[in-house]
Amino acid sequence: MSENVFITEERIEGDDDGPLAGRTVAVKDNISTAGVRTTCGSRMLEEYVPPYDATVVSRLKDAGATIVGKTNMDEFGMGSTTETSSFGPTDNPAAPGRVPGGSSGGSAAAVAAGEADLALGSDTGGSIRCPAAFCGVVGIKPTYGLVSRYGLVAYGNSLEQIGPFANSVEDAAQLLDVIAGDDEHDATTREPPRGSDGRTGDARETREPQLENGASYADAATGDVDGLQIGVPTELLEGADEGVVETFWDAIADLEDRGAEYHEVSLPSVEHAVEAYYVIAMSEASSNLARFDGVRYGHDADAEGNWNETFAQAREEGFGDEVKRRILLGTYALSAGYHDKYYKKAQDARAWVKQDFDEALEEADVLASPTMPVPPFERGKSLEDPLQMYLADANTVPVNLADLPAISVPAGETDGLPVGLQLVGPAFGEERLIRAASALE
Amino acid sequence: MTAQTVQQGDLVTVIGLEVHVQLETDTKIFCGCSTERTDEPNENVCPVCLGLPGALPVLNEAAVEAAVKIGKAIDADIPEETRFHRKNYYYPDLPKNFQITQYDEPICADGELEISVEGDRRTVTVERAHLEEDPGSLQHVGGGGGIDSAEYTLVDYNRAGTPLMEIVTAPDFRSPAEVRAFLAELEEVLEYLGVFDAERDGSLRIDANLSIIPAEEIDGEDTAEIGAEALAAANRTEVKNISSHKGAQKALAYEETRQKNAIQRGRAVEQETRHWDESRGITVSMRSKEEEKDYRYFEEADLPPLRVSGWKEEIAIPELPTARRERFEDEYGLSDEAASKLTSTKQVADFYEDVAGEYDPDLAATWVADNLLGELNYRDMEITAIEGRLEEVTRLVELVATDEITAKNARETVLRSMLDDGRTPDEVVAEEGLGKTGEDEVKRAVVEAVEENPDAVADYESGDDGAINFLVGQVMQKTGGSADPGDVNQLLRAELED
Ligand SMILES: [Zn+2]
Repeated sequence: MSENVFITEERIEGDDDGPLAGRTVAVKDNISTAGVRTTCGSRMLEEYVPPYDATVVSRLKDAGATIVGKTNMDEFGMGSTTETSSFGPTDNPAAPGRVPGGSSGGSAAAVAAGEADLALGSDTGGSIRCPAAFCGVVGIKPTYGLVSRYGLVAYGNSLEQIGPFANSVEDAAQLLDVIAGDDEHDATTREPPRGSDGRTGDARETREPQLENGASYADAATGDVDGLQIGVPTELLEGADEGVVETFWDAIADLEDRGAEYHEVSLPSVEHAVEAYYVIAMSEASSNLARFDGVRYGHDADAEGNWNETFAQAREEGFGDEVKRRILLGTYALSAGYHDKYYKKAQDARAWVKQDFDEALEEADVLASPTMPVPPFERGKSLEDPLQMYLADANTVPVNLADLPAISVPAGETDGLPVGLQLVGPAFGEERLIRAASALE
Repeated sequence: MTAQTVQQGDLVTVIGLEVHVQLETDTKIFCGCSTERTDEPNENVCPVCLGLPGALPVLNEAAVEAAVKIGKAIDADIPEETRFHRKNYYYPDLPKNFQITQYDEPICADGELEISVEGDRRTVTVERAHLEEDPGSLQHVGGGGGIDSAEYTLVDYNRAGTPLMEIVTAPDFRSPAEVRAFLAELEEVLEYLGVFDAERDGSLRIDANLSIIPAEEIDGEDTAEIGAEALAAANRTEVKNISSHKGAQKALAYEETRQKNAIQRGRAVEQETRHWDESRGITVSMRSKEEEKDYRYFEEADLPPLRVSGWKEEIAIPELPTARRERFEDEYGLSDEAASKLTSTKQVADFYEDVAGEYDPDLAATWVADNLLGELNYRDMEITAIEGRLEEVTRLVELVATDEITAKNARETVLRSMLDDGRTPDEVVAEEGLGKTGEDEVKRAVVEAVEENPDAVADYESGDDGAINFLVGQVMQKTGGSADPGDVNQLLRAELED
């Protein structure tokens, strides 16, 4: 296939029946599949075959899905273009010659190109929403704790979630139904508060009907936005591409036509979000990726010298430049003498961002912005200026810092390039996002 | 803690400990793998304790419970909630190249343990005690046998993830003997709590910091009053690889002498880490320059904070040695010495209470504290060595209590045979013919002697009281000497009265 969507194409058959019987799913290559190699887009894990299935993979199989392959990605999830993969870049099926976004670029492209009905990605700072926006498909980043991370190779473990891609909101919601829920192997999973739509303990009347027993996320894709209050954070429109902004407002106008109302809100903390996000993600990465030393699995450098030299050489050979950059910066941010200045300060900023979102969501049901401030980049440009790449995550990373759910849904095009609209909801407010996003289809 | 006075020119030893204790839980601290020892390397492992990509830790609450028990026993503060951190460093035995441990919110803080040294009771401060995971174990093959000199090194992850408690004391010790007493007491408390198995290889690992402080740097004359400044000014060595309380005393006595010698010869003591070489009985420098390690601690986001407020009240712990000793004195009227001996291990104390429940507590104390422990000690055995045979010891006490054998035979022949050749008390008594002869048999012999010796009977009846001695001799002969001559005398007189 011309797009280079898969790192490994291999069919893994699920159960004979179940809600996803007959559906094909592409799985990001940082999600463990027993017996099928899981590379994370890295030379380090080129030959690593996990002995166990990630919880989400077991759930896919139980639901009757057929996994069709492991998709390309930025190495260890570190990138927004899928160009840092050591297995070559992936083309954007919706905008040939452009990047598919990242880091779950292969998964979004697989759905956009019809290589799979559905796909799983992971989102640490926008890695589902960015490629969904760039490839013109739907992507959901669930509330932190809604989906088990067991088997997801960690990059920024306090930030990331596995989530679905599909060509429609309803299909994405159906995949979310399959993978969501408490898991004894992941202590950070939580059952969503029942029937509360994310506002447990809040005595205020909610506008939306409460979930009945047996109701599903897929059932929420009704397109009903009558009375929906949309908050638009002005900070997330600043500096965005004109065509993107125009497309965004057109989509908001559509929602207004269907009974929604919007008002502007302010999230002053988000100007620090990108810095805070990168400090936290890189710090966690420096620790999460320490285990790749070539002893039990992964790239074996066959080096001479003592264990320390052997470890160093395995890592020197196994990791690409972007991964090394982030490990080094993260190690630095956690070091004695810098910890308070960087890591601790980033944690303070994270708390502030959370608080800002909580307050904004008191006044609005959902917050809306362009998913990405720009249309898909041309291929080959991104590796020249990492800082510009980091800044392109401005609208997605605050959501991970705040542990909130978000969805990216196609909003239209600018100059023939896809534009995504991002909706952010309160914790465990996925149904609300699904309902609102489905109104744009 | 030791209130002793010092004089000019004295050198005062100051020791603090970090004790790593393996907690006895069925499964590892962050996964469901068994903690059972096995000879097969890498048998009890899973994605979590191997640190496979994508695996996540899930806290085993049994380990936290054990930790709370320890906290309760040492009267430590237990926080409202406790959380875990990552300690980042690279080492081949560490599956993830970070260790999940506790940092600023340890499960126990500010506890204390009372010990007894040469009859004095003292209190040692436990600054903190926290939970963490044990790394795997390394086996160096060929070459020099060390990690840098071996031909190659094998890693066994069976141990990886075993729950550990790191117990950190204040620098409260002034001698290696005090350290030994503390460790012995600590082991005993842990065993009482049922959270520790001393028999298990590597279940106790001790790092000790030792410094020598010249008396003139101590304000006042009390060695307990050594200030932080004097401590900071002194170079200390960290002695690693100590694995028992006996080893700790030897290692620290060696290190104390080594440092004092250096000071007395006007040489500086280097601040360094030293390795205790048990076989050679010396400490060896590990690295001359101790680089300041930076572990880059930060919160383990994969484990949400665990609320433990209320656990201290909810979790019951058994009676501890000190309380039990005092109760033994009150309840059984034992001396302090006997009560101390009888509470030295939980098993001894439990056994004593079993025996004292059925027989006279004094007799039980003599038998358990003096006879049994004495004979075991003589053979360098612990009570655990005869764990399955305690009922036999009880039977032996019964034989004495019911007067079936003499105390002397019981102690000198039966008990020793039991320990030396494994026979049961009844076997020894039967085979050695130690049973005091039964009353019926004596009576029968008395009747026989009277019937068989009419002349002596006639002499007795005619007033020759000396004839009774002849008859006693006859009965003693018939019973093989096992009857009591006094009893026989009375029985004969009663028989002749009829
Ligand atoms: Zn395990």
